[in-house]
Amino acid sequence: MPWPTTRRVIGTKVPRLDAPYKATGRAKYSFDINREGMLHARILRCPYAHARVKSIDTAAAEKITGYRAQHAFVKPGAELFFAGAEVIAIAADTEEHADDVLHAIRVDYQELPYLVKEADALRAKEGTLGAPSNVTVAGDFVTNNFEKLAYQGVAQPVEATYGIPVICHQCLESHGLVAEWDKEQNNLTVYASTQNVAGLPPQLGQYFKIPATRIKCITWYMGGGFGSKFNPGPEGIAAAVMARAARAPVKLMLDRAEEVSVGGQRPSAAGTIKIAATKAGDLKAFEADMYGSPGVGNGATVNFREMPYVYSGVPNLNIKTRARVVRLNIQTARAMRAPGHPQMCFITDQAMDDLAARLNMDPLRLRLRNLPPNDANAVKTAPTSLNAVRHTIYTREIDIARKLSNWDKVWHPPGKSDGPIKHGIGMALHTWGGSGGPNNDVKVTISQDGSVLVQCSTQDLGTAERTVLAIVVAEILGLNPSDITVEIGESQFGRSTPSGGSTTCPGTAPAALNAATAARDAFLTAIAPRLPGTPQVGDLSIEPGRIRIRGNETPIPWRQACSRLGQNTPAVGNGNWTQGLSNRGVGGIQIAEVKVDTETGVVRCTKVVAVQDCGLIINKQGCESQVAGGVIMGVNYALFEEAIFDKNTGRQVNPDMEFYKLGGIQDMPNIVVHMMDMPERGVIGIGEPPTISTAAAIGNAVFNALGVRVPHAPYTPERVLAALAGRKAGN
Amino acid sequence: MNDSKDQGSGLSRRDFLQGSSVAAAATALGAPTLPGLAAQPGGNDKAPPAMGPAAVRITLNVNGVKMTNRVEPRVTLLDALRNYLNVTGCKRVCDRGTCGACTVLLDGKPVYSCSMLALEAQGKPIRTAESLVQGEKLDAVPAAFARYDAQQCGFCTPGFVVAMKAVLEQNPKATPAEVEKGLAGNICRCGTYEQMRDAIYALCNQRRS
Repeated sequence: MPWPTTRRVIGTKVPRLDAPYKATGRAKYSFDINREGMLHARILRCPYAHARVKSIDTAAAEKITGYRAQHAFVKPGAELFFAGAEVIAIAADTEEHADDVLHAIRVDYQELPYLVKEADALRAKEGTLGAPSNVTVAGDFVTNNFEKLAYQGVAQPVEATYGIPVICHQCLESHGLVAEWDKEQNNLTVYASTQNVAGLPPQLGQYFKIPATRIKCITWYMGGGFGSKFNPGPEGIAAAVMARAARAPVKLMLDRAEEVSVGGQRPSAAGTIKIAATKAGDLKAFEADMYGSPGVGNGATVNFREMPYVYSGVPNLNIKTRARVVRLNIQTARAMRAPGHPQMCFITDQAMDDLAARLNMDPLRLRLRNLPPNDANAVKTAPTSLNAVRHTIYTREIDIARKLSNWDKVWHPPGKSDGPIKHGIGMALHTWGGSGGPNNDVKVTISQDGSVLVQCSTQDLGTAERTVLAIVVAEILGLNPSDITVEIGESQFGRSTPSGGSTTCPGTAPAALNAATAARDAFLTAIAPRLPGTPQVGDLSIEPGRIRIRGNETPIPWRQACSRLGQNTPAVGNGNWTQGLSNRGVGGIQIAEVKVDTETGVVRCTKVVAVQDCGLIINKQGCESQVAGGVIMGVNYALFEEAIFDKNTGRQVNPDMEFYKLGGIQDMPNIVVHMMDMPERGVIGIGEPPTISTAAAIGNAVFNALGVRVPHAPYTPERVLAALAGRKAGN
Repeated sequence: MNDSKDQGSGLSRRDFLQGSSVAAAATALGAPTLPGLAAQPGGNDKAPPAMGPAAVRITLNVNGVKMTNRVEPRVTLLDALRNYLNVTGCKRVCDRGTCGACTVLLDGKPVYSCSMLALEAQGKPIRTAESLVQGEKLDAVPAAFARYDAQQCGFCTPGFVVAMKAVLEQNPKATPAEVEKGLAGNICRCGTYEQMRDAIYALCNQRRS
């Protein structure tokens, strides 16, 4: 069944159903689970950026009051590659005793050479991660005849370097879980802070060599997931191992220092860009030499094939890119809200503005002139795909953002702002996938008392997923979302895909549509023979709050109709994701305004306009909240966030919240969100795209304010003042 | 429930620290270099009464209910509430007085419950976010959070709600800017500030009209 063409609930602003529980502290997060006789666990971690474990002595620790269990992650002789690497976990009867036990463990290490700064690793003669060098080439790409064609007939090219540091996920609810085995030690229940409720049982089952069906994962509420919570992690395994050994439930949630230093990082990125266009502003050449650090991981940090970001589809553009991976003795990168994209956007879009300045062009016009065209082939074969409509979408979005930001009046040439506090405005474009997929089961149950229950194992990361399911089911059954009871976050409800890549709404909303439709049909089929005049099922239709029988003037109220169901025979509908109801590929534009105090170097972001498409909107309120939240995360990325590593100790100096800065409410701009509703495209995810272009837009706004590029984010006073003085900022 | 004689609330943190082990929750990263267990209590007769390290009985007045349990003197108010009394609306996030997720009202004033000892909170009324609902009827502050979608993951939300409640109780005529100032000690990671502002404007308008 396709999406209804007239929509009563879908696309409206629906307050999230669980807000009253969240706002009064009644929502139970994994961190809040307290089980009878529960033990508390902690992990001892390597304090060195690179070391070999010589010995682990737990004799004294085991004598401490309350000690109950331990789980060693490594044996003596093991080589550990970053400060924070797990050594041994312990469990005790109270958190206080767990601290005591932890502090009584003696571990001897042999310290080894390490590298924690990109610049040092690029210069180093030897590797510190088991390979000859910490620097590898992830890949390169060049268009045909680049050297011959690239700079023919161009105005003077612009060459500059831009950079943005490693940042940390900083989930407010840290990683971890509560593990509890049943009395026979056969069945395991974990209350986990995870983005992957249905995926944890098979992962844990593999470790314990038991069927996934004997493991249950519960995540009623989870306090923040941005791509770092897809598996139980060493902490989850340790909790479950010790729970079995001690025959008692074990809670192991990371503390803040652990959460920041091992709970996930977004890789740094730096790029030297050479960009050129004709005098009229047609892009001709884009060269990028990029590097970034995934920490001890070895994955690429940006996609060299996607550069220049958004503009790679520009016809006749000569492109030459190279990406290097600079491995460091710091925690490994994990996916973080649109992995790679904020960095690629940051590097590309700032070069675009520098080019516009060189050409004396308004950067908005330069972008309009160089938008990738709608792909003629895609228009024929896949008319709702992004490639078929990208030019149309970006053009419309830029036009709306231009009006909402009053761009034509507010923009001025770079540096042309009076007084010591300079005003600036800048923009950037982004794109993302956000497709749904199979393996999402939704079950809808209509009962005799008129109640409707929706069940799915999926998780709510803060996206109002419960409300998404309720909206879709309410639409089909003629009810209000608040009439629907939604149960999510329990693995026994069936299959669901992990919440990553902005896939949850486009994965589960179609499944909810199919389940609600099946439940509706089962319901009408069951009650038809029991209604006055025993109508045919085809004579029944659902209207808001009631059932209409064709030819009968008086509709039957919902509850009354439901009362015809048998007491133990509710109407049940099961549904899974099906093709055609969701889609992938969005555009998006953001325009940021800043005020930069040239005497103190303080940058304040005053306004951000965000225009975003996501196909068919399910909950307009939820979408707007996601977009504003993405913008705020981007403001933090541009102005405040940086994981700072000390080359003398090899450790992060700010694994906390006081020196790892996140903005408060007073630091945040006025945010204007405009949602494009494009129902013909189907449902597309919204979680990631709106955080991609904010930092790039702010970087451009700072450039517009000062007339000088601050090359490296975050735009701290020191970096701003250094750029104004024409010198290089310290590290 | 008759435990007031067990511990007065007149004991200073310094006195307490002299007779107990290290109170601060230390990072496990630094474990190998941190001090071990403190010396056993006892010794000088003239010293203030040593407490701990063993658990002592405490009574806290939480949301109008007297709750009792045995906790070690080093336990923070936050940990006593969460781990020993199962009052989990206040959240542990930074655990060192930066993020505000643990904010509770102590005698009507907002405090970071991670940054005071449970012992110190005895004898004073403590209110958490859980007190801001009667049956299913929400207090105006959480109601505004719900109506304007001022929460996403929601882990920071109870702290914000309590801090906002404190501002509005202390100054019922507070302007939106004054309310924002009162929230300066709270941090949200999902980015709910824009929707929170909608809630603040609505609350301030309600009070003015």
